[in-house]
This record gives sequence, C-alpha cells and structure tokens, in this order.
Amino acid sequence: MIQKIPFIFCLFCIAISCGEDDNQNQGYSPTPVNIAVPAIFSQLLPPPEIPINNPLTEQGVALGRALFYEKQLSADNTLACAGCHKPNQGFSDQRRYSIGIDGIAGFRNSMPIVNIAWNTKNKFNWDGSANSLEEQVLEPVVNEIEMHNTWPNVVATLQTDPGYLSGFEQAFGTSTISQELVAKALAQFIRTLVSADAPFDKYLLAQATLTPLEEQGLAVFLDENRGDCFHCHGSPSNPLWTDNDFHNNGLDEDFTDLGLGDITGDPAQFGLFKSPSLRNLAYTAPYMHDGRFQTLDQVIDHYSEGLVFSPTIDPLMKTVAQGGVQLTPQDKAALKAFLLTLSDPSLANNPAYQNPN
Amino acid sequence: MFKKAAFLVLLVLPFVACDKNDDDQAQQNTPVSVGFLHSFYEDEVSVSSNTIQYTNGFGTSLSITRLRYLISQVSFTNQDGIKTIVKDYHLVDLSQDNSLTINDILLPPGAYNLKMRFGFTEATNTSSIYPDLNAASWNVPENLGGGYHYMQLEGRWLDPGDTPDEPYLYAYHTISAVQNPGPENTREDTSIEIDLGEITVTQGATQINVNMHIDQWFENPNLWDLSQP
Repeated sequence: MIQKIPFIFCLFCIAISCGEDDNQNQGYSPTPVNIAVPAIFSQLLPPPEIPINNPLTEQGVALGRALFYEKQLSADNTLACAGCHKPNQGFSDQRRYSIGIDGIAGFRNSMPIVNIAWNTKNKFNWDGSANSLEEQVLEPVVNEIEMHNTWPNVVATLQTDPGYLSGFEQAFGTSTISQELVAKALAQFIRTLVSADAPFDKYLLAQATLTPLEEQGLAVFLDENRGDCFHCHGSPSNPLWTDNDFHNNGLDEDFTDLGLGDITGDPAQFGLFKSPSLRNLAYTAPYMHDGRFQTLDQVIDHYSEGLVFSPTIDPLMKTVAQGGVQLTPQDKAALKAFLLTLSDPSLANNPAYQNPN
Repeated sequence: MFKKAAFLVLLVLPFVACDKNDDDQAQQNTPVSVGFLHSFYEDEVSVSSNTIQYTNGFGTSLSITRLRYLISQVSFTNQDGIKTIVKDYHLVDLSQDNSLTINDILLPPGAYNLKMRFGFTEATNTSSIYPDLNAASWNVPENLGGGYHYMQLEGRWLDPGDTPDEPYLYAYHTISAVQNPGPENTREDTSIEIDLGEITVTQGATQINVNMHIDQWFENPNLWDLSQP
C-alpha cells in the first residue's frame, strides 16, 4: 500500500551516522505548515493549539494522513482509523457502535474528530480519558475491541515498509519508527481536519442568509426559556459549537457507563460526557455518546420532554423536573432547521483529507 | 460581596548582598503572582462537587458543581499614583488549576494599591471580541444583552421537605443587566470594582492570594431564598 503514498519520498544521500543518533539527524528539514484557519475561526477563536514538541510539517501531515488510512495498524490488517472516522460521515461512524477487527462492537458511538486543534481543554474522548491528541491516538490500536494490535507489532510492521521508513525519515529525521512518532504523525494530520464551511458560517460571514425557519431555530437555540442550548454547545460567537466540557445531560437515572467518572473515579463526575460539537449533524447520526438516538428529532425530543434526574445531572438542565424545556412542534422544527445549517458539505470530499494510499 | 475579599501577602525575603548595587537592585522588577482562593464560610472550596456540603445564610444546604468568573483590570497603583494594569481580563475556573493564578507579573518592589474588577465594564463588555472567552463559551447571546458572563455559579440545593436524593438545581449566572431583552435592549453595568487595599511587593517572589467568600453571594446584599425565582 505504501507505494501509493502520494507524497514524495526523496532519496537524499545524506551523510549521517548509523548510530543511535538517528533521531538527532541534523540533515532533515521538514517544511513547517500551518493549519488553514477558516475566516470565521480567525475572527472569533484563538489560534489553534499546536504542541511545541509536535509542530505541523508538510511531511508529518502527509505521513499522518497515510497512517490514518493504514489498515496495518490493526492486528489483522483490516481496520484503519478511517474505518470508524469516515470523512463522508463527519469523521464519525453512522453505525451506533463501530465494529472492531474481531467483530465485536464497542459501547460508544465514534466521536467526530474535526476542529480538534481548537480543543482548548485538552481532554479527548467522550470520557476525557486522553490528555492530548498524541495520547488519544495510541489507545484504539491496542484496544481489544477495536484494532486489537500491539504497538511493538505495529512498529515492527511499519519498520519493514520502505515507504514508511522514508516517510518517517522525512517527517522526523529518523527511520527508526516508534509509537510516539506514529502518534505524532497521526496527531498532525488530525489537527488539519477543519470544518467551517457550513451555511451558518457563510451567514456569519455575511455571504448567505438564513431562511425564516432557520432564524427562528437560532432564536430557540439561544433562548434560555426554550432551547437554552448555548451554554454547552457554543453560539454564533463560539463557532466550535461545543464548550469542550463534560456534562450529564439527563439521559439516564442509572448509569451503565460512568463516562468521565470512570476515568477520574469521582462520583461527582459519574455519567458526565463531553459535549460534542453540533457541526455536521447531518452526517454524524446516531447521536449521544452511546448513539441511542437515530434522528435529530429524537435528540430534540429528549431535551424537550425526555430529561430524567440523576445525582450528577448538570444544573443547566434546569427543567428536569418538568422533563425538559417543553418545546412546541414549531420550535422543534425550527431548531432542527437551524441545527442543520451547521453541517459542512465540503468536509466529505476535501481532497486534503482523502485516502492517499 | 467581593468587598470582603481577603488577601494574604506572603513575603519571601531573600538574602541580598549589601553592596553598592543595592539601590539599583531595589528598583528591578520582581515576580508577583495573584492567586484565587475560594471559601464557604470557614470551609475551603477547592474542587467542585455534587456533594451537598454547604449551608447558606438562609439555611439552605447546597453543593457547588461549577464556579467560573471573570476578573478584569487587575491593577497595581504605586505610591506615586502610577497605575499598572497587569492583566486586562482573566477567567477563573475552579476546575482548571492553571486558571487559579495570574503569573508573569513583574513589578518594582514597593507598596501598591491592588484593584480588580468583577466582570467587565460596559465599555469593555463587547460581544465576541475576546477569542479565548469565545472558545470557553463565555458569551451572552445578543437576545440577552450580549457581551460576556461575569460568573457561573452552579450546583444543587435541598429543600428540607424533599427527599435528599432529589435536590433542586441552581445556575446563578451573572451578566450585565439587560433591560428590554431583544434587539432594542439596553444594559446596566453590574460589574464590581474590588479595592483590595495596600499590599507590599518585596524583592523576590511575592504571592498575593485573593479569597472569594462564596457564601456572601447568597446573603449580601440580599438574603437569597433559592426556592424563590
């Protein structure tokens, strides 16, 4: 597969020592590259957060892109990252639970992975189990119900592929592959996955208008006495459409999945999950951490009439005693229309995000 | 409430050589940090929790699950009346340790008056202009007056007559007061200037701790019955 990688593995004859200083190869000079920051993000958001020890380079991003679509990361060479984070599905998975290489289903819906470079809280996954993107990408490879591989095996496999040897040489100045470098390359590519070309983005940039129904939906979204969505899911001022924080949004009285609390052990955080971005809802069904809702209508119904109390429910679920915010059918229709304006049709076919292998 | 905010200045007195450069060194900038502490009466509040462990002035038992607030115009005014604003604004989040201290302040040793403002002034409370606050979803929608939140204090409380496993929820959000919500709304400044009095910056590291007495939000100036809207 690696022979198809479109980036050029130049064969420079560089006088380097063959000792343990491969990682310190001073002859390599990857080309720095910046994330293409969309206009609306430039206006409203801080610059993307790039770790000092993993700056983006053309070579690193290209390598990460190849690895993102690389099935050799899985134990039986059948599953790549893109198998559960599909470009045409908002870099998520329209199956409720993704299926690992052994045919075993997971227990959470695949989380969309766009605009990750603006995750200012640096907590990744539904349960916040990873503290950096570099850390996050390591886990699915060894997860027994996902890729079910081992990192030594992955490294050994890649180490035999001349294309990857060259790719790592160009990206990191060494052909000695390690899980840390694989993670760095993957993280570089994932940080370039940016979605900000939805109809509502064009509206904010005064390049498009909303329909009356969509405008009504925005009003519902921002109205504390109706949708009251903005506290957790952004606003026209926060085009990430998430607060990147963790909440119990009233799904269950009892928890079968403790979410953040399972990681921290703190009972106060039982049943808390990360707020997903509302971008690309048109492509990312089903919804919630466990994919329990197949449609946006079901999601809206939940917040309108389906809230249930549990000890850690977020105080922002102010109407839990009434079961929800009690939206009218008109408000529900308007809210749905507005939410769909946050979907970016250009994401799926962005040539920079496609499989290069 | 913040008028009662207490501060503690820890003075670290380094050994300095008594040579001819003493006067010059005395005027060199020295690091100062401002830390934010939180208490509920005598109890330190260091983490948010859903445990109902505090009792407010009205006698209501409650928890604090979230506390975020905005401080602006952190200033040190020296004896000559020269004012140095060391931080335009700062978002304190009890769940984010790195938000609990303002570092990187450099000042010449001496006596200062320390002031800060709870929230933004009307002049600085402009919608969407602070990227980091936007990313933190700290905004107030235009239909509610726009600008930014000043505080989000949230938790649960118990009505003594109810079963203890079904507490009520409160979300005490402070914003600029809006009149006539909607396109023609007008706002009233609700920010509070906090004069923390005189502090002394000594050569070496100076740590200033500002303590928010959270309990005071529930009784000063008005005793708050959480069962009443």
